[in-house]
Amino acid sequence: MNDADSAPLLEVRDLGKRFGGLTALSGVSFSVAAGETVGIMGANGAGKTTLFSLIAGNARPSAGTIAFAGGRIDGLSPDRICRLGIARTFQIVKPFPGLTVLENLRTAAMFGRAGLRDRREADAAAMAVLEEVGMAALASAPAATLTLAGQKRLEVARAIATGARLVLLDEVMAGLTATEVAQMLDTLRRVRDARRLTLIVIEHVMQALMKLCARIVVLHHGERIAEGTPEAIGNDPRVLSVYFGTAA
Amino acid sequence: MSAVPVPAPATRAWAVAGLLGAAALAALPFFANPYLVATGLTLLMWLALTQSWCLLSKLTGYVSLGHVVFYGLGAYLVVVTWQSWPLPLAIAAAGALAALFAALIGLPVLRVRGPYFVILTFGIAELVKYSILAAEAASGTASRILFGAPDLIVIYFAMFALAAAATLLLVVVGRSRFGHGLRSLRENEEAAETLGVPVVRYKLLAFVLSAAIPGMVGAVMALRSTYFVVGQVFDPMISVTAIAMALLGGGDDTRGPILGTLFLFIVSEVLWIRAPLAYMLILGAVLAGFVLVAPGGILGLLDSRRARGASGA
Repeated sequence: MNDADSAPLLEVRDLGKRFGGLTALSGVSFSVAAGETVGIMGANGAGKTTLFSLIAGNARPSAGTIAFAGGRIDGLSPDRICRLGIARTFQIVKPFPGLTVLENLRTAAMFGRAGLRDRREADAAAMAVLEEVGMAALASAPAATLTLAGQKRLEVARAIATGARLVLLDEVMAGLTATEVAQMLDTLRRVRDARRLTLIVIEHVMQALMKLCARIVVLHHGERIAEGTPEAIGNDPRVLSVYFGTAA
Repeated sequence: MSAVPVPAPATRAWAVAGLLGAAALAALPFFANPYLVATGLTLLMWLALTQSWCLLSKLTGYVSLGHVVFYGLGAYLVVVTWQSWPLPLAIAAAGALAALFAALIGLPVLRVRGPYFVILTFGIAELVKYSILAAEAASGTASRILFGAPDLIVIYFAMFALAAAATLLLVVVGRSRFGHGLRSLRENEEAAETLGVPVVRYKLLAFVLSAAIPGMVGAVMALRSTYFVVGQVFDPMISVTAIAMALLGGGDDTRGPILGTLFLFIVSEVLWIRAPLAYMLILGAVLAGFVLVAPGGILGLLDSRRARGASGA
């Protein structure tokens, strides 16, 4: 409808969030172009997950605006934002434990941007996603029986099954073994390319972030302190001082 | 298509058993004595109430301890409009009134979860009960007698229709996209909402749907007792019994309420006749035994082979 080439897919302007007296985010601005993969870096409490909650609608911003595909989305409910094409994963996984893996994805395919109201169509789309992320064999397993790696993978699969254009990945590699991290990275790259997804990735596994992202935004105490390529971020004196306490 | 593991809520055997049971209940008034017909009516009443309760509480996980409020409001409407409104209209209006009441209280009430929701629904039911008691006392009508109520057989078939409607409603909702959305929000409301499920609207709709039939059940039962006492039609034991039946049955489809209602109903009839004094004691022991040994209810015992995990925990 609008020319997606000129306008960024996601545009965050002067975003702020206060919880009572605590300022979780303040004056954060950045934009993400369609097809880009952007990393979000920052210590614990830097405001990374809060940023995702604001974009996905789980929390309302105290200040600033969020625009997606040309329209304002700040203040909309999470289900509406999902139907517009943004999906997120949860750092502390939130599976539907009593439902099977396939039923978990069915919800996403039925209610997300994909909007497949017919159960058979939704299940077919869900199975396709499960095959892409290597979980097809677990389709009929109750989600409660999955390992942590399995549940992280389920979070990703469910987000993708919504048919989202923009997927927010919140520490989907935290707590995984080196082998599992490598598998997850491989899966994410493959799915991103096949589905032409735009990704925003929060990650503490730095190597993974560097491999996946062309651009990284660094948050510290709720503010954006740096932005650039992984190499530039790795040499940025402010980032180094925040992370290692060196006087550079 | 065969690759898709649908956990078939009602296999053919269940459907056949259900239809046979429905046929037997439909034929009952034509050969049974009035005592048996009255017993059948009570069974149908519990079935209608339990299926309706499950539509909200089993599918969404919001456990209502106040469903009797819809029953009581329906009964009260019929009593108040007695001999001024045609009966079918009064019964339909009772369903509408219950649904409207659910819609009005639903938005604020459904904002709280878990034990808070349980206590809030109980409190609202008691509040309505005492408000109506006060209104009746102020107008000087301590109790009312209904003259000219229809025959038992008419009441029986009205209740049969309501039980069938409540069962069909749960079948249709349980298999629909709406029903899948309700199960999702039961499992994790925040995740469901983030995946696109309009949780606020869905919870409210489930609440309204689960209220309408109990309203009509109360209206029909008011005709049966012919003698109206506020405390009786708002008796919290009505809510509690429906919950006990649903929990005994287990699961989140129509089979659980059917099994649980039959089981508790038969146990109470047998006990009540043979051991009226020990009735409540034994009933309590049966319920406690189920909760401790078989928290998944009768269906859980039957389906234990399928080991479907911790959904009922």
